[in-house]
Amino acid sequence: MSFFDKLFGKKKSSASVAKDRLTIMLAHERVNCKLPYLDDLRNDLIEVIKKYTEVSDVKITTHNNQNIDMLEVEILLGKK
Amino acid sequence: MGTIITVTSGKGGVGKSTTTANLAVGLANLGQKVVAIDFDIGLRNLDMILGLENRIVYDVVDVMEERCNLSQALINDKKAKNLYFLPASQTKDKDVLERDKVEKLLLSLKEEFDIVLLDSPAGIESGFEHSIFLADRALIVSTPDVSSVRDADRVIGIIDAKSEKAKQGLEVQKHVIINRLKPDMVESGNMLSVEDVLSILALPLIGVVPDDEEIIGSTNVGEPIINKEKSLSAEAYRRISKRVLGEDVEFLDLTPKKGLFASIKGIFR
Repeated sequence: MSFFDKLFGKKKSSASVAKDRLTIMLAHERVNCKLPYLDDLRNDLIEVIKKYTEVSDVKITTHNNQNIDMLEVEILLGKK
Repeated sequence: MGTIITVTSGKGGVGKSTTTANLAVGLANLGQKVVAIDFDIGLRNLDMILGLENRIVYDVVDVMEERCNLSQALINDKKAKNLYFLPASQTKDKDVLERDKVEKLLLSLKEEFDIVLLDSPAGIESGFEHSIFLADRALIVSTPDVSSVRDADRVIGIIDAKSEKAKQGLEVQKHVIINRLKPDMVESGNMLSVEDVLSILALPLIGVVPDDEEIIGSTNVGEPIINKEKSLSAEAYRRISKRVLGEDVEFLDLTPKKGLFASIKGIFR
């Protein structure tokens, strides 16, 4: 974006929108690539939980905090 | 009962997904109930071209493996209300699709939608075969260059061999879309013309899309160009959409328009 565009607050260029969209998308996808077992883990968890109760989905999110890699597992139980 | 239309090409990078996205919106705008499916397993792209990447929860493999209902996986476009989208899965195993599961899914979509638009992956491997074997029609996208036309010809030869319809003695209706044509280059004799490509491929033409830099911008922001009023390529997509529905529409005039500057430049060439 040129100096004048910034000065007059011109609409964001499409290239910068593209960059933002890609950055977000890839950040999300790379996480899954780093832990290739994530899908299998998710399916196994669903199987185990099914033994005890209804389960509609299991969401696994990864967090990297300084030196700690963390998995956050969210289990969505079916509606009663 | 709906129609399954596969958008294919053989060669990668000729604009299959862009074509699929624009025709999906175009057909939906014409009142058809459309579902666009990305069959490029492992290399999902149609989602970003349609601008729907943030709304994905489930994908086509989840549906086939019955990890969710079809209705949970279908994403309804907010602008084109008649358009639904089913994303490709991002698993690394691209051979994850199984024929009977693909068949089950496509047949149930055919019940529910007027048009099932499949974005086939490049190449002629299993992904391509899955996207073509139940197709009623095929739209073959080719740019006017040697590699693209050659691969398109190869794909055309394979379609009937892989098609369920052809096995029953029926024909898969095939049409060519010529993409990224540069009229001035054709005129100066440096690019294959529409006639050249058609005489080689020996298939009927359903549309010519001129090369348009604006398409890059529209992909950048995730809004298919077809909604842009004054764009020539958008007009091309709108006309193709109508022709897909059987309307007889005139082809775009793509003879290069010469302004004063271009004429002067022409003298010195």
